[in-house]
Amino acid sequence: MNPTPDTTTSADNGGNFDPQQAAALLDQTAQRARRQFEPYPPWLLVIRAVGVLVAFGAVWLSVRGQHPYQHPTAAAIPVVITFGVLNLVATVAVARRATAGVSGRTRLRPAEIAVMAVIWVGVFAVMGVLAGAGVSDAVVYGIYPVTVPLIVAGLVWAGIMAARADWRACAAALAVAVVGAVAIPAGPAGAWAVAGVGLCVVLLGSAAAIAWRQRA
Amino acid sequence: MTDDALDPLIHVPTRLKIVATLAALPDGDTLSFTRLQDMIGLTPGNLIIHLRKLEEADYISSEKTRNGTVSITTVALTGHGRAALGTYTQALRDLLGGL
Repeated sequence: MNPTPDTTTSADNGGNFDPQQAAALLDQTAQRARRQFEPYPPWLLVIRAVGVLVAFGAVWLSVRGQHPYQHPTAAAIPVVITFGVLNLVATVAVARRATAGVSGRTRLRPAEIAVMAVIWVGVFAVMGVLAGAGVSDAVVYGIYPVTVPLIVAGLVWAGIMAARADWRACAAALAVAVVGAVAIPAGPAGAWAVAGVGLCVVLLGSAAAIAWRQRA
Repeated sequence: MTDDALDPLIHVPTRLKIVATLAALPDGDTLSFTRLQDMIGLTPGNLIIHLRKLEEADYISSEKTRNGTVSITTVALTGHGRAALGTYTQALRDLLGGL
């Protein structure tokens, strides 16, 4: 750092800084910093929870009357894709803003991002293989796309967060995997409803936990 | 207990804000000078003066790297600085509890 003239005021040297003011400033600064550094702010998680409910709910409404189960209708798929794209864009934009200028554990490593990308591409590649192998529509377009991505991505993300000793995020990721597992017995149509409600609850719980931590 | 129990290096509004902001990051993470300046709302000159005082006491560490023609300065709270903030916070609690 280059030498610069000291232009700090006498008040800035602690002269009349009473302990009560100090405690208030410490509290206020710490809370604001935690909010600004948070890559998953509660408001984003609440919006995501509503989005998940709408997207999964739209698919459930489109498949619940199918006997036998076929696949989500063309009307429901754009809702899911729109939610997925908006969620990704919003998540990346908010995380970039929160971690601007920050280096270290707060930022995801390229290897961690690559692992998650491979997982997501992988589970849907397997879905294509299952369809080609003649597996029933109930599995390929029902149980598999709802449950397997949640279980696999949830477990892998939990592992990554455990390695970072981020136990709140690890617990949330495990809860996502549990939601995937719990949705399996609900069948191809019911799985969409169970997963939608389950993810909504997990996201709202995470939002509450982060908001509570930011105030602590 | 009196105000004397409060670390005079931290018991200054600007330096308290700097230390509290850096403490919000996980141990070992660094913050760029420009982001810190943006968050604290100080002129570069004033921020440098306060950072230097904290660095002399080993409360923070700073590193300057060059990325092409751009020079980037990053700062981080040291373990010593984190402990000092903990002690300061406890002293503040004791002091206010005793009022």
